[in-house]
Amino acid sequence: MEEAPRFPGESIKAIAKDVMYICPFTGAVSGTLTVTDYKLYFKSLEREPPFILDVNLGVISRLETIGVQSHGENSCGMEIVCKDMRNPRFAYKQEEQSKLEIFENLTKHAFPVSNDLPLFAFLYKEKFPVDGWKVYDPVAEYKRQGLPNESWTISKVNSNYELCDTYPALLVIPTSIKDEDLRRVVAFRAKHRIPVLSWIHPESQATITRCSQPLVGPSDKRCKEDEKYLQTIMDANAQSHKLTIFDARQNSVADTNKAKEGGYESESFYTNAELTFLEIPNIHVMRESLRKLKEITYPVIDEAKWLSNMDSTHWLEYIRLLLMGAVRIADKLESGKTSVVVHCSDGWDRTAQLTSLAMLMLDSYYRTIKGFEVLIEKEWISFGHRFAVRVGHGDVNHTNSERSPLFVQFIDCVWQMMRQFPAAFEFNELFLITILDHLYSCLFGTFLYNSEQERVKAELHTKTVSLWSYINSQPEEFTNPFYVNYENHVLYPVASLRHLELWVDYYVRWNPRMRPQMPVHQNLKELLVIRSELQKKVDELHREASTRSLSSSSDRGSSPSHSATPVHTTV
Amino acid sequence: MFPVKPLKPTFKSYLPPLQTEVKNSPQPTVRKLEAKLLPGEIVVNEVNFVRKCIATDTSKQDLWGKLVCTNFKISFITDDAVPLLKFQYRNKLLGEHDIPLTCIEQVVTVNDSKRKQKVLGSNQKLKFNPTELIIYCKDFRIVRFRFDEAGPESAKKVCLAIAHYSQPADPQLLFGFEYVGKRYYNPAGDKVNGVDPAGGGDGGGGVEGVQTPLFDRSSDWDREIKRTGGSEWRVCSINESYVISLSLPEYCVVPVSLADQDLKQFSIFFTGQRIPLWCWNHPNGSALVRMSTIKDMVQQRKLDQRICNAITRSHPQRSDVYKSDLDKSLPTIQDVQAAFVRLKHICVIDPFEESDEKWLSSMESTHWLEYVRSFLKHSAELVYMLDGKHVSVILQEEEDRDLNCVISSLVQVMLDPHFRSIAGFQSLVQKEWVMAGYRFLDRCNHLKKSDKVESPLFLLFLDCVWQLLDQYPAAFEFTETYLTVLSDSLWIPVFSTFLFNCPQQRAEHSREFARSKNIHLGDEKVLQFPSVWDWSQQFTAKDQALFNNPLYVGKSATCVQNGAVKTFKRTKKNYSSTLRGIPSLRNGLLSEQELIPRRNSLVLRLKPEFSLLKEPQESPSDQYIREWFSKPADLQGLILPQLLSSHIKVWKLCFLRWIPEAQINNGGYITAFHKVSVLADEIEMLQNRLRQYKGTPSTPGGSPETERCKMYFRASNLSDTPPTPEYLTSSFPFSPVGNLCRRSILGTPLSKFLSGAKIWISTETLANETL
Repeated sequence: MEEAPRFPGESIKAIAKDVMYICPFTGAVSGTLTVTDYKLYFKSLEREPPFILDVNLGVISRLETIGVQSHGENSCGMEIVCKDMRNPRFAYKQEEQSKLEIFENLTKHAFPVSNDLPLFAFLYKEKFPVDGWKVYDPVAEYKRQGLPNESWTISKVNSNYELCDTYPALLVIPTSIKDEDLRRVVAFRAKHRIPVLSWIHPESQATITRCSQPLVGPSDKRCKEDEKYLQTIMDANAQSHKLTIFDARQNSVADTNKAKEGGYESESFYTNAELTFLEIPNIHVMRESLRKLKEITYPVIDEAKWLSNMDSTHWLEYIRLLLMGAVRIADKLESGKTSVVVHCSDGWDRTAQLTSLAMLMLDSYYRTIKGFEVLIEKEWISFGHRFAVRVGHGDVNHTNSERSPLFVQFIDCVWQMMRQFPAAFEFNELFLITILDHLYSCLFGTFLYNSEQERVKAELHTKTVSLWSYINSQPEEFTNPFYVNYENHVLYPVASLRHLELWVDYYVRWNPRMRPQMPVHQNLKELLVIRSELQKKVDELHREASTRSLSSSSDRGSSPSHSATPVHTTV
Repeated sequence: MFPVKPLKPTFKSYLPPLQTEVKNSPQPTVRKLEAKLLPGEIVVNEVNFVRKCIATDTSKQDLWGKLVCTNFKISFITDDAVPLLKFQYRNKLLGEHDIPLTCIEQVVTVNDSKRKQKVLGSNQKLKFNPTELIIYCKDFRIVRFRFDEAGPESAKKVCLAIAHYSQPADPQLLFGFEYVGKRYYNPAGDKVNGVDPAGGGDGGGGVEGVQTPLFDRSSDWDREIKRTGGSEWRVCSINESYVISLSLPEYCVVPVSLADQDLKQFSIFFTGQRIPLWCWNHPNGSALVRMSTIKDMVQQRKLDQRICNAITRSHPQRSDVYKSDLDKSLPTIQDVQAAFVRLKHICVIDPFEESDEKWLSSMESTHWLEYVRSFLKHSAELVYMLDGKHVSVILQEEEDRDLNCVISSLVQVMLDPHFRSIAGFQSLVQKEWVMAGYRFLDRCNHLKKSDKVESPLFLLFLDCVWQLLDQYPAAFEFTETYLTVLSDSLWIPVFSTFLFNCPQQRAEHSREFARSKNIHLGDEKVLQFPSVWDWSQQFTAKDQALFNNPLYVGKSATCVQNGAVKTFKRTKKNYSSTLRGIPSLRNGLLSEQELIPRRNSLVLRLKPEFSLLKEPQESPSDQYIREWFSKPADLQGLILPQLLSSHIKVWKLCFLRWIPEAQINNGGYITAFHKVSVLADEIEMLQNRLRQYKGTPSTPGGSPETERCKMYFRASNLSDTPPTPEYLTSSFPFSPVGNLCRRSILGTPLSKFLSGAKIWISTETLANETL
């Protein structure tokens, strides 16, 4: 039997024959299981065409020994619980050495970090014609936004990550802020995450700034410099005499935070500011919601209760809350011409979701392939969404309560927007699914580590490949054929369950019965092919006709339709 | 009181814009607001200084005008422009604010200072002066008028007139009769709104001049037999002048082995004397037949045997007959009606925000989607019988006039691509609904006589077709706009298509009406009502282009043109020669090419495991369906629906189009549709250019120009794609502005205010019930 296909840098760790894969959809099948340092690869020749299961190790959340009674000699079982909504199961004979070995290897390489091994991204040796690490250049991005300007400056105050270790080196802050005032603001904001600019409206100069909660505490502490700082942000926008603070949390939770060190801005101290709670539950609620979603979609779906079961997971309800919050932010800037400050507790989860979604609604650049990559690099990666912790790359500790699918939720919101505006995005669904697959895979360095500081230390850009290298090397794969550039168009998705749908092609893709329906874009692609073929033919004939009319002495009937003899009688 | 005190009307709002004076217009400066009337239409009552509510939360955008009740419609006439309206799809028979009386579901009058409200029925009294009138429409609209500044007595009279005239005591009081009757008084044919009332009396021009066979003559049936190759079937005319059955058409198709004499004998044993009707023939010889139940228990077995034998004899392989009892396998028409009432409730009555959280559960509890699914599923199983098992199928239902219509037409839509073309689809509705005696008059409850007979079965059928269209967007010549507009046409009472319970009823009422009006019907025997298929009566040619699906890859190769019959070929046909060589669609699966991962492809591609998927106890029909799905679909052949709950969706364009909160501005499927239309138009343009170069004449049957008119959205030129128009929304071509006004009364949402009134069902009085 031929060996499992491998990526450059990938090596086989163990092979075992006569392993049984218990497919929940098509029944049990026996074959050869290969474990490499990147994936497990199962192939069975019992079926025609051969049955193949390919699971990258990064996607594995936990491995569990299970009892399997009904599979004859194969009395031992292993369930592979995955982060991407599936749990493949294998059965094998108990005593055989090769079987024990392969599962030992699986345990070891599925959780490299816990076993002092490098993540596969550091072993991957593929070369791409494009360097994805060059996609995001903060200075270029701020320049695109028209920054620096008289009110805002690109500051190097955090260049050594000393001011805030979870923020990027370059920050856009108000020009007029004095260094000692800044130090006080730093001390007053949780994890030192001070308000910094994410986006500026090209016309009104209204801004989106992001930060963490103020450390108000139960005794209602004030910080004059923080109050002044927000006043400065407001003053930078001449169009409005208000500043809106969106606190993503539930009001009650923010109150609980206030009882311990944290809190929110008091409208009586922050004059001209209005505070709005977006009432979005925390990361634990979201993790639980996705767990329930998996329960109702894998492997068996209760047809009769499909919709009410969907309701009971609240997954779409939370998607709705996020989109609604982002619409409010975008509308505040666009219609209200008012600057907004967005925060949650630490300003790296819900805050990142909200600012990036609002920016996607406001700025058509982020709806291109390149722009969306920049958006992720900027609002998520550089601003310290804790990918390593939230995803748990290479970590065996699956019960870690810090894990949560916040980024998945964000991509789902983007997909929902794509559904509502099928012509407004340059990228397609495959692009989003690819991003999510490599959020877990650890093939690329893009989503590894928690902060820019950690990435610099790990020399990520030189030692790993960027996901954007792969994507940008074949952009046509990821291009939406319906795309029409909606330049300067603000998109307000309808945040209502009447329009939100479960992203079946992602969450339920392992179930062959949920096969995607005949995609319209396929039809469109065909039409595009027809058009270009026709265009070619017409151009050819046009050329032929013009050379003919040039060579012929008489210049009557220059228009081909009037020519007496057909230009081309055979096809 | 209302938080916002309504403004008094000013003279300004009744004056035409100033420019007219500047232009030195000879017309008088003050124009009277006059209702535009169709032939035969008369004004019953009217009231001035009426406010039409536009927005839910403010009265600032309200329009001032005159409210008129005619024998056809409620008309609101105003000089004010509708705010926020960027686009309008006009119906030539109706003004911007008009509601046909047959479209009215319920008339509610309110006096908010006295805190009184009443659901008005016919011939009722109203003890208070209404300050507000709310019209609940059958097409889900809710329209509100306020009378704060109107004469109280006139307002009351108009409300009573609307209530009265929307509940006619007799079918002949439906406006269509007066409308058509006018033609006989005035044979010169005066046109109103450019519409000839009698135009297209026998099928009409239809879209792009395609004739829709109405199946009211034997030649239409004959052609259908030939088209489908049902050589062992014949047209039978024993029911001419409806002497055998009142609900059957005059001509129907029966097995050749049954003689007229036998059929006459049999007929008395069938419910409604409805002998079995042939619907369609599969190329493999299997036939689809529909019939009512056999009443006579003694005769039942014998008769069943004879019918089955005859059908078997008409099958080239003498295959068996499979009988499907629809009464036992599907929801009843009452179930469907109840589901529809609940659907309507959650779509437009429940307050949007509050109901959003539980939307999915609420949708599930209406059972509407479940019923849509069960009709599709049952049809797919019968497709298996006809196509997979090669047996003929009899659909049996007690009266053969409801469920049979849905199932027989769905089976044919799935099996025969001809019925997925516009002309084919229209002929299908004629054949399986209009001629087969579906009780449009009763099921639509046009006379509002009894709620018990009302059922939206036709709409359910359209929804099922929409699901297929949603799953196979390139398999249909028409768009969802077409289906929606067709559903709206049910409520315009001038089309022969939807006014009657059966052809005989049409003939009888024609005769009576003609007698009472001294009209000589001549040889025609029936009043020449226009058919709905003559779309030019309702829409301009440009607007009709919205019916054309740019993705359609089929060709109506099967239609009968100029009487010449083309044989029904089932070979795979491509739209044009240019399509050849293009990889065909692979049934939703990735194409073979795409299955082979290209180098560097890291995308997790799904293996097509579907063909391997086996249920523990898989039925043969499940296996047939599974195997069909494992192969690429031929859109010019059979299509089967995907039937998981997640595949069956809410038909948003039809059910949510009036809801302002649900409208996606600059978005919705229409934005993709726009792009495809422009592309299709460009392709058309290029093909024409190519023809010019080749010196061959353009396609027969039309100049390049008419050919290009197929698409609503046109390419400006080949070099640049026109931008997506600003006016596109998910409701396009409809607009919620002023069509769904649910403003709360005294702070109480309307739904609560009316709760317990069994809104949409009951017309019971809530007389003087205080809030």
